[in-house]
Amino acid sequence: MRFSYNFLQSFFRKKLPPPEELADKLMMHFFEVEEIEKLRGDTVIDIDVLPSRAADCFSHIGIAREISAITGMKYEKPQIRLKEGRREISDLINVTVKAACLRYTLRAVEGVKVKSSPPYIQKILKSCGIKPINNIVDITNYVMLETGQPLHAFDGEKIEGGKIVVRFAKKREKIVTLDEKRYELNDNIMVIADELSPLGIAGIKGGIVPEVDKSTNIVLLEAGNFDSKTIRKASQHLKLRTDASLRFEHGVPVEFTKEAVGRAVSLITSIAGGKALKGEVDYCQEKRKMKEVTFKAEEVRDILGVEISLKEIERILRSLEFKTKRNGNFFHIEVPYFRTDVSLKEDVIEEVGRIYGYANIKPVVPKAEITSQEESLSLKMESACRKLLCSIGFTETYNYSFINDKVASVFEYENLIEMEKPVSLEYKYLRPSLLPGLIDNIRKNEKNFEDIKIFEIGKVFSSLEDEKEKKKISGISSPADFYDLKGRINAFLEKILVPNVSYSPAPKDSFLDPYCSAEIFSGDDVIGVIGEIPPRVRKEMDIKKRTVFFEIDFAKIILLAKSVKTYDPISRFPFMTRDLAVLVPRKTTYKEVLREVKNAGGVLLRKTELFDVYEGESIPEGKKNFAFRLFFQAKNKTLSSEEANKLQEKIIKALDDKSEWKVRK
Amino acid sequence: MKEQDPKLIKKRFLKELKDVKTSEEKKKICKKYLEEDLSSVFSSFKNLPAAEKARVGRGANELKQLLLTKMEMVKETEKEETGWLDVTLPGKEPILGNIHPLTQMQKKCEDIFSKMGFVTIEGPELENEWYNFDALNVKEDHPAREMQDTLFVKQKGREGLTSKEKLLMRTQTSAVQVRYMEKNKPPLRVIVPGRVFRNEATDNSHEINFYQLEGLMVGEDVSVANFKAIIGSFFQNLFATDVEIRLRPSYFPFTEPSFEVDVSCSICKKKGCSACQRTGWIEVMGAGMVHPNVLQSAKIDTSKFTGFAFGGGVDRLAMIKHEINDIRLFYGGDLRFLKQF
Repeated sequence: MRFSYNFLQSFFRKKLPPPEELADKLMMHFFEVEEIEKLRGDTVIDIDVLPSRAADCFSHIGIAREISAITGMKYEKPQIRLKEGRREISDLINVTVKAACLRYTLRAVEGVKVKSSPPYIQKILKSCGIKPINNIVDITNYVMLETGQPLHAFDGEKIEGGKIVVRFAKKREKIVTLDEKRYELNDNIMVIADELSPLGIAGIKGGIVPEVDKSTNIVLLEAGNFDSKTIRKASQHLKLRTDASLRFEHGVPVEFTKEAVGRAVSLITSIAGGKALKGEVDYCQEKRKMKEVTFKAEEVRDILGVEISLKEIERILRSLEFKTKRNGNFFHIEVPYFRTDVSLKEDVIEEVGRIYGYANIKPVVPKAEITSQEESLSLKMESACRKLLCSIGFTETYNYSFINDKVASVFEYENLIEMEKPVSLEYKYLRPSLLPGLIDNIRKNEKNFEDIKIFEIGKVFSSLEDEKEKKKISGISSPADFYDLKGRINAFLEKILVPNVSYSPAPKDSFLDPYCSAEIFSGDDVIGVIGEIPPRVRKEMDIKKRTVFFEIDFAKIILLAKSVKTYDPISRFPFMTRDLAVLVPRKTTYKEVLREVKNAGGVLLRKTELFDVYEGESIPEGKKNFAFRLFFQAKNKTLSSEEANKLQEKIIKALDDKSEWKVRK
Repeated sequence: MKEQDPKLIKKRFLKELKDVKTSEEKKKICKKYLEEDLSSVFSSFKNLPAAEKARVGRGANELKQLLLTKMEMVKETEKEETGWLDVTLPGKEPILGNIHPLTQMQKKCEDIFSKMGFVTIEGPELENEWYNFDALNVKEDHPAREMQDTLFVKQKGREGLTSKEKLLMRTQTSAVQVRYMEKNKPPLRVIVPGRVFRNEATDNSHEINFYQLEGLMVGEDVSVANFKAIIGSFFQNLFATDVEIRLRPSYFPFTEPSFEVDVSCSICKKKGCSACQRTGWIEVMGAGMVHPNVLQSAKIDTSKFTGFAFGGGVDRLAMIKHEINDIRLFYGGDLRFLKQF
């Protein structure tokens, strides 16, 4: 919010520090100063007053009070001098309040001369970004800048029936505002009306009908206080934000109206002439209770971590207009009515801290016990996975957590979680898989890189109750080489101690190419998938090269991975090796054959190596040949040649027993 | 008559060897000593008195060994000359991946805090309104609920749901504070890195999703002064040992008092440069003493415990550290960018 340096100076007899210095002080003790703008004859200090302090500091008096507390310079509020005539305001006007109006204060001045306002007022308005209109309107704005209370002035002779009603608008009721714009209202929007029609949109903007102009003789000055939520909604609905609505939205203390109207009347009679009518209309829904806070001096020390003298605490609180009583170390505080943000002792201690200055608090290393809490297993594992994937050639990417309609339909996603009013339709749904993001990475990088290997670890989402949010590890590799990727992933899974990893052809409804994709198992649990991106998806996602992908469920890994490796004693006795070749139908998997080999081989078959897979010439059509090397070893003796032969025979028999399988001899 | 003392011969040999450059000459010298000097020592050996024999014999053997070794070494340099490699040719590199700069920054932060006894924890990205707002003292009607543009989940009959049922994408990692404190009692020290979301248009410093690092310390007599010590040490470890920090008053519903944390610009050493917008300081975090209402949300005894909390953008820290000018680079997946880290 823009504040005029000259206006601020007007509350002080002594000269304020220069704008830059003042801005620095405000920054360290109040709020951030966004900009200092030099104008001719004035300087604007743009202060980012946060919502907590809107009530008292969307005003120059509020800022002056802060300056006074920070610098110790005394500030003075302007004097109010009311010249009242004999005529009673009740003779002129009758006010009824029906709506969400907390307070409504009205005074009248008769015999005014409307002309332009004095230069000092115009200058201050301009500094604060408000256009000068005429002396009456300018004074209402000036008083708003001064006090934080929005005011409105009507021409007292343009009101029908001598009545003002504060009410909700009727459906479809219309109004033309001062800037000659037409608005259609509804029954959630408050208006200030006369007997017939709305005179203004309450708390937001005045209507054109009772406009103050050159011919105006009687001015009605209104200061209302309206429910902040109602004003916020009305302002949003009408797409009309004004200096007044901004203040009401944030809440203005109800106590402000009377003083603000008095101040405006006093300025009008001295600048535009005329006399105030006797008395005022002052509707007030209810008076707020004075807030009281008590605390001990030790509590200030415990929270801030610095010893501040009792005298200094008192000085600070008094400078901010808190009424302070002290009994030994006990403080009893009365919170000034304009400090709507203060209600707890912590709030009061913050006031002490910031005025005292956080810069004056010396760092103190905390006394804390040694905790033995360990980092979560999940995070440790995540970190280990990243390092490993990196070491096997994958680069980490971060993609958006969202997908759009097109992606949803290309991948035929179901059970998506949809966002309410995202800023862009690109963020319409939460991603149910890391795949779309990774595919998009391929698309972007294809033109610059021959060989792409990337991965992401991130959360994916589904509307299904028990799996709303899941962590996945996924990677993609282009150009496609299924066995290369499988080899890397297998090595990766072994390194992170996922036990008994195996692969089975993926079900036909897999989102990957059904002919070259597999489910990854650990024992009987499916932990992920690996396979090729179907050509249709590649085409629709605009990637040229064939690409392979994997996705692993992180929670499963956490569940299954062993935390400790147990040592397997190294046998002192040598291996006996035997080779074996078996012909099987083309679609019989290695996994099936291996299972048979292992079952028959028993514990003495220490390991197997597949050294050749062949189909083609010299082999019957529809068949393929697996060539294994078998390693036999015992833990307690050297196996004899006969023993090894016997074991081999046993395996051969087991394989030959399967229909359509044939061991080659 | 030739010199007979092996020690003196050795000395002479080494000097002669040093004085010549080419391996051809060196070989010649070795050969000469082996054939002439050494054999003359051996041939004179039988004439020596018994007492001398042992000493000279040992010396002669040592000399022989030296001559043979030197000869061997000279021959080796000859061989190397023919098997010369251009060692400046590029080697065969294995392809290694790169870890994302945000992960690296996050890890660095975790490591620093871990040394100060902070444990890293996580929480859900898809959060409910209670943990994200209510529990953090952000009331239904609070302006802060508008200050940050939140991504809410579309839900049927949302109006009728309780705030624990109303879902949203967390706007801050602070949402994890109460979740953690419900299950863990003080004293506690944790940090929470993670992805957060804002429903706002993106530009070079704003993203729809980005990363925050939250910290929380609760215990008896935890104070602002303690916070200054912890956070000062953190930034000195992260940026440079001479980095200063300062706290400025601010406002967050979940802390009281609240402050912004600035670090002195390590590029210009507070003189003012483009990185710090000529102010000498860079705003890096929001922080404060945990609001009693937040502690009460987690049923922690506020008469006994106090604490501080802080939170800042990991993206921003990484941008400062690596001089990256556009936050969107982190989420663009461009390998030309990612391969630099």
